[in-house]
Amino acid sequence: MTKQNHSKLLVIDDDAHLRESLAEVLELDGFECSLAGTAKTGLECAAKINPDIVIMDIQLPDSSGFQICQELRKRSKTTILIMMTGRFLSLDEKKQGFALGADDYLTKPFDIVELSARIRQMLTRRKG
Amino acid sequence: MPLPSQRGRLAYKILLWFLIISLIPMGVAGLYLIDISQASLHQQILGTEKSLAQSFAETVYKYIATYRDILEESAALPQFASGNKSEEQFYLKHLMSLHVAILELSVLDSSGHEVIREGRFLGPNPQLRNMESEGFFDTALARGEFIGALKRFQGIYPTVTIAVSIGSAKSGKIPSGILAAKISLNGLSSMLSMEFPPSSATSAAVAAPDGFLIAHSDPEKVYKPDARLNSEILKILTTQVADSGGGEMTLSNGQSFLSAYADVNGLDWIVYVQESIQAAYHTAARMRSQILRLLIWVIIAIIVLSLAVSRHITQPLRALKDAARKVGMGQFEDFPEVLTTNDEIGDLAQAFLSMSESLKEKTGELVDTKQELERLNRTLEKRVEARTRELKAAQEELIKKERLAAIGQMASVVGHEIRNPLAVINNSIYFIKTKLASVLSQDPKVSKHVKIIESEIQQANGIINEILTYSRQRELQPEPVRLNDWLEELLSVYPFPPHITLQKIFVPSNPPVEIDLTEMQQALRNLIGNAIEVMPEKGILGVKTFLSQANMAAIEISDTGPGIPQETLEKIFAPFFTTKARGTGLGLAVVKKVIDRHGGKVEVASIVGRGTVFRLHIPISQKVEA
Repeated sequence: MTKQNHSKLLVIDDDAHLRESLAEVLELDGFECSLAGTAKTGLECAAKINPDIVIMDIQLPDSSGFQICQELRKRSKTTILIMMTGRFLSLDEKKQGFALGADDYLTKPFDIVELSARIRQMLTRRKG
Repeated sequence: MPLPSQRGRLAYKILLWFLIISLIPMGVAGLYLIDISQASLHQQILGTEKSLAQSFAETVYKYIATYRDILEESAALPQFASGNKSEEQFYLKHLMSLHVAILELSVLDSSGHEVIREGRFLGPNPQLRNMESEGFFDTALARGEFIGALKRFQGIYPTVTIAVSIGSAKSGKIPSGILAAKISLNGLSSMLSMEFPPSSATSAAVAAPDGFLIAHSDPEKVYKPDARLNSEILKILTTQVADSGGGEMTLSNGQSFLSAYADVNGLDWIVYVQESIQAAYHTAARMRSQILRLLIWVIIAIIVLSLAVSRHITQPLRALKDAARKVGMGQFEDFPEVLTTNDEIGDLAQAFLSMSESLKEKTGELVDTKQELERLNRTLEKRVEARTRELKAAQEELIKKERLAAIGQMASVVGHEIRNPLAVINNSIYFIKTKLASVLSQDPKVSKHVKIIESEIQQANGIINEILTYSRQRELQPEPVRLNDWLEELLSVYPFPPHITLQKIFVPSNPPVEIDLTEMQQALRNLIGNAIEVMPEKGILGVKTFLSQANMAAIEISDTGPGIPQETLEKIFAPFFTTKARGTGLGLAVVKKVIDRHGGKVEVASIVGRGTVFRLHIPISQKVEA
């Protein structure tokens, strides 16, 4: 049931199991997934592959997710930026994230079906 | 306290001083005057007595001398010179008729024989006597006259014999005879009694040196046989050298007299005048008694006066004393009437009244201050107690908050850390499920276990959500809604199991409220979930809205479960308290926290065996809905 949509997706998370499982699950939906464990490698990878979608954890060992979000948004206005978090975010944090260019938030653990649907919807709208 | 005496010591002091001041000078002056008057009286009486004695001595002498002269003149008459007996007799009779005092007349011849004898009570031809041996005969012959031979005529009446020689003695011839006469001396007594009546205090007497009482102012004393002058008086009188004199005399029987005496010129007789001391000093005694009476009157007057004065002084003083005692006991009313006289006592009373007035004021102030202090103390104590309670509550609250904050912190970290593996598991199971879709459809057991894993992930996530919801420091985001509408929506999407009967009673006014929808929804879900849990087989779940009190609306969730015992009821809102086999014990803690954050109040009532009722009171919105 592998679908090909050729959308490039980058997952940045310090938890290897999480980023791999998420990548592999999304690959089932036809996404081309790249992985990064730190902000530094994430940004390098993004510069190289120019992803359509970036899913990143808010807390990374070498940086904050918000900073990567800001950097990535500088580089591209069209890239879909999704923030992941294991905790509740305050309204101020959410506002800050949106102001820095985030498109959506995910709270762990997330429903894969729902996530997949959201991404598709966003991609469709951008293309449209 | 001893009862105050009627008058008080002051009265007696005043009385004593009054008496001393008035009586001593008066007594001294009076007695001095009495002494003076007594002395002058003494002098005066003695002088009078002396002059009386002297003058009477002269009278006595004249009395005697008169009869002597008569006899001498008669003896010198020719009838006697001639010796004519009948003529002599005639003349003698004539003499006796002229002078009643002459009791008897005799003519003696030179040999002493009685020649003629004439007497008033002798009768005719009396017996003639030989008088030669009589004492007076020789004396009269030798000296020409004789006065003496005192006798009592008829044994009672004093008489004296006067004899003169017949034939002039001057001629140098030998007298031819003697003319003798017995003279009654009653006349002297009569004169004395006229001068000093027996009723008067003064008496007088004439006596011979041998005590023969010649005359006395009291006839009873002289007209008796053997009447004599008192021997003691006589002894004193006969030892006097001077012709006359006087002084105070006290007899052995205690009688005192003021007496004077005078010798009768030419005779050895003594005139004696006496006045009893009592009588003499009668005036002085009267003065003394009058002074004494006066003193008594003065004493009475002084007693009355001093009592009046002391009463006048002590009455207001005693009233003041009573008032002072009252003031001492703290009574400032009903003072005894204090005289406001225009003097020092009045001033004292005024001073006292103003003092007690000031005392009363000060005492009142003190009492007020004391009461105020007590009141303040009580208030302070209450405030301290209240503040202590508040502080304690605040402290407890703080501890609780700190504890909750710590729990929240920990929960947040734990939750976050668990969510990551949960996310990985979730992703992995999704991967497996997707990859092995054909296997799962063939093997129901594998499919079941995948479902179990998914369910447990859900459950673990639910627990983490619950903990994070309770502990997170989220700002309230109230939104205005209509209570009934909001509830209706919530209930409509809630998955009630079929054995639960839902019973809704909504208040018609549909009150507007401002609530954080997420939190309030969580609270309601918790309560409904609990209610469903305690009614596993069948039951009625009541949802009711009503207006509980002023500006408050209430949501009531009731069940018909087994109820909660009283001791458990007190703890159910505490975090992590649970009676369930599984569960965080945060469900009701979240409810309470949410309602508290909305400024409301949670109530619970339960009857074991009947069910439990939760009431959430929340404020009605004052904003008018657009």
